[in-house]
Amino acid sequence: MRVPLAWLNLVHEKSRLVVALAGVAFAVLLVFMNLGFLGALAQSASMFYQYMDADVFLVSPQTLEISSSKAFPRDRLYQAAGIKGVARVMPLYLGYLQWRNPETRDSRAVFMFAYNPQDRVFLLPELNTSATLAALDRPDTVLFDRLSRPEYGSKDIGTKTEVDRRTVTIGGQYELGGGFAADATVVSSDQNFLRLLKIPLNLVNMGLIKLEPETDAQAIAAQLRQVLPKDVVVKTKAEIIENDRSYWITSTSTGFIFGMGVAVSCVVGVVIVYQILYTDISDHMKQYATLKAMGYRSGYLFNVVIQEAIILSVLGYIPGFLSSVGLYAFAASATNNALPVAMDWQRAVMVFILTIAMCVLSALISVRKVVTAEPVELF
Amino acid sequence: MSHLSNDLPSDSPHFSSEEIAVSVRHLDYYYGQGDLRKQVLYDINLELSKGQIVIMTGPSGSGKTTLLTLIGALRFLQEGSLNVLGQELVGLSKSELVEVRRNIGFIFQAHNLFDSLTASQNVEMAVEVLQDWGNKRQRAVEMLAQVGLAERVDYKPKALSGGQKQRVAIARALVNQPSLILADEPTAALDKQSGRDVVTLMQTLAKEQGCTILMVTHDNRILDVADRIVNLVDGHLESDQNFTAFSQTHDPKALV
Repeated sequence: MRVPLAWLNLVHEKSRLVVALAGVAFAVLLVFMNLGFLGALAQSASMFYQYMDADVFLVSPQTLEISSSKAFPRDRLYQAAGIKGVARVMPLYLGYLQWRNPETRDSRAVFMFAYNPQDRVFLLPELNTSATLAALDRPDTVLFDRLSRPEYGSKDIGTKTEVDRRTVTIGGQYELGGGFAADATVVSSDQNFLRLLKIPLNLVNMGLIKLEPETDAQAIAAQLRQVLPKDVVVKTKAEIIENDRSYWITSTSTGFIFGMGVAVSCVVGVVIVYQILYTDISDHMKQYATLKAMGYRSGYLFNVVIQEAIILSVLGYIPGFLSSVGLYAFAASATNNALPVAMDWQRAVMVFILTIAMCVLSALISVRKVVTAEPVELF
Repeated sequence: MSHLSNDLPSDSPHFSSEEIAVSVRHLDYYYGQGDLRKQVLYDINLELSKGQIVIMTGPSGSGKTTLLTLIGALRFLQEGSLNVLGQELVGLSKSELVEVRRNIGFIFQAHNLFDSLTASQNVEMAVEVLQDWGNKRQRAVEMLAQVGLAERVDYKPKALSGGQKQRVAIARALVNQPSLILADEPTAALDKQSGRDVVTLMQTLAKEQGCTILMVTHDNRILDVADRIVNLVDGHLESDQNFTAFSQTHDPKALV
């Protein structure tokens, strides 16, 4: 067996190794956190749709994503209802309420879902119990999201507060989470939507179409596109999820920030590893030059540096990964699970490969020095 | 003290190539390029026979080290002729020069050992360059025993004295039984006794293995181990004598 020069050189300088591994672990942690948030952003963008009991969606062409939707005529839904294969059409009204915290009297915006209580828009079992359905039917009553931020005050059933000069009562609870779009959500009946926001119900924000079982959503969507005028856009569930996801990731600063965070973390990692490798090479220039005098080729020294980089990346990844798992749990609990940050193996593998690439890149930058080791300089 | 009196002037009759380890013919060498080009070696002619111990002396800047590195296949050569161990170095590519180096043992002023490796591992690195994996440990340990470090094979350089480290470096240079050893001030960093021990050790091992040693040194205390002393001044080969003749002609008292 070859003398494991790369490994022995690294472990010889214990404190330097610890610093190097801490640096790599830190970079790995930063990458994981940014990817975690980016993943949570993508997931929370699709979360609303995952819970909706519909296969095809109608939205206005001006709607960018769910929380900033524009309204379109309700008649489009009735037109869609005539298509064979459509089981049910459900208008969904969306808007923002100024919710006053009953304790501090500060008003904050909550995102409101409103629909006819006869429709089962959400698949959440809590929203379909007889008690919540009865609460939905009561005037000036809303259901409050348990995953809303604590700044909204009490979420208990029976809490009364003021919304746009009307007294509103919390009549029930559910768990949905607002993701990046909203800090709090409420669900109400379409009648209460009209009462609170004074927007006519013949303009809807989103049309939910449930199909008969065994029906091809793509085919129905294509058919709807032909039938309906251009003031609505038809999207299957997968298409609308992809639409919102790409909106959040590519055309908001939120997505950009996390993407940039990943890039900056990688740069930090590259610089740290470069620094360590360069110092290590500088300290051993005489020895490397001696190896060359003994008849070793530059390729051998190149390999030693690459090996050191890979050892650093593997050993640095492990603590980085473990602390990321811990911080994911912390981030999820700090946001009442509204921010769905969680580790998945694809991301773990991806970051592992990224870590190795990062360290090898540093090695490639620093390796130029070792190749210049010249035995004649030893004399 | 006994000395071999094979005093070989540079214009001595040719030996058959079987007996010649290094043959330098009309070698000129320059540093720099263009206007800054400066000649450092002028028409050097030198032959080292196998088994000889040759010491090269001369003032600083006389070109001794340059000549040593040229013979060691560590520099590109364009002019003249330089034959080392039967291989003409002039015109060889970098990669071919590396092959030549594998038959040469280098001993430097500093030991240049890896602090992270044990004495044995440092020596094994030399065995590995020849792709000899099987008994490298055994060979390294035997070689370290020959330089008197049998008890220290698994010590790291930090735990060894200066003389012991230089002996590890010698073991590393000799473990592959090279035909030529090039040493650059091997005793400069050592005290008198360690320096003496190191040189005696080199002499003994060289005689056993029959290899040629070319040593650059300023250390007058060790000149007596040489079969020949070559004096280089300002890039010219000034004299080529045995120790007795050298000590007479270069004795400061005799020059008065």
